[in-house]
Amino acid sequence: MNAHFEAIQGPVSARKLGMLRDIDDCAYDALIRAMPLISDYLKNEIDLADLAGLLLQIASEKPEAARAFAHRIGSDPALVGDYHGLRRWAVHGLQKHRNDTKCMLHHFEWGSPQAYSDEQSLHDTEELLRERGALLHYLAGFGFSEFSIDLHEPDTDGRQTRAVTIDDGVIRYPRRFYGDTTDRALLRRANIAHVAAHLRHSPLRRPAGNRRPSLVAMTALVEDARVERLMVQEYPGLKALWGGYHTATPEVSGFDFAGLSARLARALHDDTYIDANPWVGKGRELFEEAASKGLDDVNAFDRLARTLAIDLGKMRLEPSADRQPEPIYRDDNAILWGPDTALPEDRERHSEIEIVDALQDGEKAERDVEGIDVRHRYRYPEWDHRLSELREGWATVVEEELPRRKTRPSLQRLTQPKITLSASARVPDRAVRLTRLTEGDEIDLNVVVENVVQQRARLSPDGRIFCRHGRRRRSTSVVLLMDFSISTERFVPGSFTKVIDIEKQAALVIAEAMEAQHDRIAIHGFSSNGRHEVNYRRIKDFDEPFGEEARSRLAASASRHSTRMGAAIRHATALLEAEAADHKVVLLLTDGEPSDIDVAEDDYLVEDAREAVVSGLSQRVRTFCVTLDRRADHYARRIFGQRNFLIAERASTFANNTNRTLTRLLAL
Amino acid sequence: MHEKLQSLIIEDEPYYRSSGNEVALFSAAMKRKLPMILKGPTGCGKTRFVEHMAWRLKLPLVTMACNEDMTASDLVGRWLLDAEGTQWHDGPLTTAVRYGGLCYLDEVVEARQDTTVVIHPLADDRRILPLDKRGEVVKAHPDFRLVVSYNPGYQSAAKDMKQSTRQRFGAIDFDFLPQAVEVEVVAHESGVTPEIATRLVAVATQSRALRGRGLDEGISTRMLVHSGSLISEGIGPHDACALAMTAPLTDDPDLQAAMSGFVEAQFGPRP
Repeated sequence: MNAHFEAIQGPVSARKLGMLRDIDDCAYDALIRAMPLISDYLKNEIDLADLAGLLLQIASEKPEAARAFAHRIGSDPALVGDYHGLRRWAVHGLQKHRNDTKCMLHHFEWGSPQAYSDEQSLHDTEELLRERGALLHYLAGFGFSEFSIDLHEPDTDGRQTRAVTIDDGVIRYPRRFYGDTTDRALLRRANIAHVAAHLRHSPLRRPAGNRRPSLVAMTALVEDARVERLMVQEYPGLKALWGGYHTATPEVSGFDFAGLSARLARALHDDTYIDANPWVGKGRELFEEAASKGLDDVNAFDRLARTLAIDLGKMRLEPSADRQPEPIYRDDNAILWGPDTALPEDRERHSEIEIVDALQDGEKAERDVEGIDVRHRYRYPEWDHRLSELREGWATVVEEELPRRKTRPSLQRLTQPKITLSASARVPDRAVRLTRLTEGDEIDLNVVVENVVQQRARLSPDGRIFCRHGRRRRSTSVVLLMDFSISTERFVPGSFTKVIDIEKQAALVIAEAMEAQHDRIAIHGFSSNGRHEVNYRRIKDFDEPFGEEARSRLAASASRHSTRMGAAIRHATALLEAEAADHKVVLLLTDGEPSDIDVAEDDYLVEDAREAVVSGLSQRVRTFCVTLDRRADHYARRIFGQRNFLIAERASTFANNTNRTLTRLLAL
Repeated sequence: MHEKLQSLIIEDEPYYRSSGNEVALFSAAMKRKLPMILKGPTGCGKTRFVEHMAWRLKLPLVTMACNEDMTASDLVGRWLLDAEGTQWHDGPLTTAVRYGGLCYLDEVVEARQDTTVVIHPLADDRRILPLDKRGEVVKAHPDFRLVVSYNPGYQSAAKDMKQSTRQRFGAIDFDFLPQAVEVEVVAHESGVTPEIATRLVAVATQSRALRGRGLDEGISTRMLVHSGSLISEGIGPHDACALAMTAPLTDDPDLQAAMSGFVEAQFGPRP
C-alpha cells in the first residue's frame, strides 16, 4: 500500500470498494493487491471510485470476469490511465459474450482495451454506424435486403484488419478507415457494390483444399475481376466508380507479389492501362480469352489463375502474411472459401450489433424455442452517460405470459370519485363538413340556390347558407405504465394502504375515464431483475376492453424485483409506435427512483431513463410521471423534465392527481 | 355526338405500349358496358391507358380528379341562378351519362365514400342516374362507360372503397412494365437513346427494391420520363436524376444517399 493510494481514498470510493467486497471478495482482493501499481494512474478519489464502480458492475454480472479484469489491470496498470477506453472495452465484453463465460474470460484476459482508446477508430466507427442505414439501403437495391453491417473485432495482437469481410448475413467493416480518399461515402459504396458483385456472381464457400497461398490469392484476384465485369454489364457506372481506386502503376507498385497483383487487377479492369510487364500482359491476354468465351465459366478462370500463380512461383514471389486488398475497395475474399481454408476460423466473429432490426421497430420478437420459455423477448439499448454512448441491445425486456382465466381476486374499490376527463383538444378535419350555418368559411351553393328559389316563391328562406369544415376530437393513445417493483409493497406513509394498491386504484379510475371517452388506453406494468430480465406485464392492451378479465389481472398483479425504468419506457414507446393516434403518451406511476440489482453507479439508470424519455419525444411519444416519492424532485426533474412529473404526497389524492396530470397533458 | 362532348374527343393516338392483354380485356369489358377499376402504383400508366382506350373506342373522355372536398353535386350537377330564375347545370358525370362518353374518376378513393355512392345505380345493370334535386332519372346513353382508378399502395384503411362500390366493378391490376418494355416507353416519351433509357430503368428497378424499407413506392415510369426529358435537354444525368427522381421521392437522407448510389452505379461517380 503506498502513500498515494492512501491519499486518494475517500468515503465514496470506500463505499464502492465495500460493495465490491460484499459481491466478490476475490475480485476485491485482486484489486487491492494491484493498487500499489495502478494508483499512480489514478488522479483522485473520483477516479478510484469510477474504477471500483466499473469493477462492481462487471462483478455483479459475472464475478469470474471481474477477477480476470482485476488481474489484467494489475499486470498492465497503464490501462487504467484511460478510463473511457477501459470502460468501453469492458462493456463491449460483457455484452458480446453475455452467453459465453469462456469467451468473456478470454476477452478480459487477452482482449485489447487499447483498441477502444484509439480516438481515430472511435470516430471512424461512429461515422460508419451513421452511414449504416444508407449502405444497407444501397445493398438492398442490388437485391440483398437481409444483410447487416457490423465491425471487425480488434485483434488481440494489436493488428487491425483492414479489409471488409463478407460473412453469413453480415458485412464486417474495419474499425478504422483506411485510405486517403476524401469521399468516404463513395468508397463505402464501392465496397458494397463489390460485395454485391460477389454475392450475386461468385460461388461462395468453396473448399480451398490444398491450394497454396499464392494460388488462393490469384484465384481471388481473377474472381474479383470476373464478378466485377459481370456486374458492370448490368450497372455500367460501377466501372468508373471502381476505376477511381485502381491506381497501381509500375513506378508506384513495384515488382513484388502485391505490386504485380495490383497491376494485374488494374490491367483487367481498365483496357486503357498500359503495362509492359510480361506477366501482367499474359494475365490480361488469358483473361480476355476466357472472358470472350463467357464470363460464367468459373473453371476456366480457375485454370488461368493457376497458370498465373505458377508463373509467380517461378519468379519466387510469395504473398506476404499481412497482405491487404488492393485496390482498397475490395474485400478480403474470405467468403470465397469454405471453412477448411485460407483463413483460420475466427471464433470471435459473432455479431456485435446482431439485432439491429429488432431494435428499430421493437416489434420483432425473439423466441426462445428450446424448452418451455416461449416468452417474447425484446432488446433495447441503454444509455451510458459516462461515455455518452448507447450500449446496443443492453437490456432485455421479457413479456410475461399472463395467466388467463384463473381465480379472480376482486379489486376492492375504495371510495373514489368517478372522474371525467375534460374534452381534449379538437383538430380540423376536412372530411367533416358542417352545412347550413348562419356564418362560416364558404357559401354552400346548393343552399343559396334553394334560398333564392324560396324567396322568389314568396316564402321566407332559411338564411343559413354557409358551410365550413368541422373538427374532430384529437385521438389519444395512453400507455399507463405501472411500477411493480418490490418497494411498492410498502405502506404509504400516514395510511394503511400499500403503494401498489394505490397505483391499481389510479389505473382503474383512469382506464374507466379513458374508455368512456373512447380513447385508447393500455395498462402495462414492469419490474426488473437485472438487465437480462426486465419483466413487462401487459395487463390490458389497446385492443382489449377493460372488462372483468383485465380487471382481475390488474388485481392479481403482485410486486417484486426492481425498477429499470429506461427499458420499460423504451418498450412502451415502441408499442405506441404502432398506434395511429395524434397524442401518444406514456404515463408512468411509480414510487421511487430507478434502481436495479446489477447497477451500482448512482446516476446510471436515471440518465438512461432520461435518454429513453428524450428519444421517445423524437417519436412523438411524451412521457409523464406521477410518483409517490416525496423526495423525487431531484431525479424526476432530471428524467422527465420540468413540468412533466407530479409528486402526489398523499395516498388519498393520488388518483385525482393522476387524473389532473392526464387532463393537462391531453389539453396540450 | 352532343357538342358539349365534342371537344373531349381525342383526335391523335396517345402513345401506349401494352405489356399484356389489358387492351383486349378492357375492350371486352367496355363492349359489355362493365364498369372498370384500374389499380396500380402511381406513374405506371393508368391515365395514359384510359386516354388510349378512349381514343381507340372513339369515345369522348370526361375526367374527374377526385378529392376530399368533392360533393355529390360536383359530380351530378346543381341548380344555378340566372336572370330568368334557376337553371339546372349538369355535372360532368351527368353529361357523360346523358350524351354518352367515357367517364373517368381518377383517384376515386380520395373522394368521401358517401360521394361515390351516387355512381351505384349507374354501375349495375340499371344504368340510371337519379337526380333527386331535379326529380329526374337519367337513363344512361348506350355509349356511357365508367372507369375509376386508384393506387392501393398508400391509402390508409380510412380511405378505401365501400364493398358495395367495389363489387359493381371489374378490375385490372397495373404494375410497372417489364424492364425491356419500360426502356422502350422511356426512350419514346423522353427522347433519350435506348442506352440511356436502359440505365434509367435500372436505377428505377433498384429503387423499387427499397419498397418497405421506408419508401412507399419506387421510382415510377413517369419520373423516368421526366428525368429522361431533362437529359434530352442537355442536363447531366446525375443532376437530372436528382431533380426528377431522388429528391422528389423521399426526404430521408439515408434513402437519398442509397438512390444517388444507384444513379452512380449506372452513370459512374459524379464528375
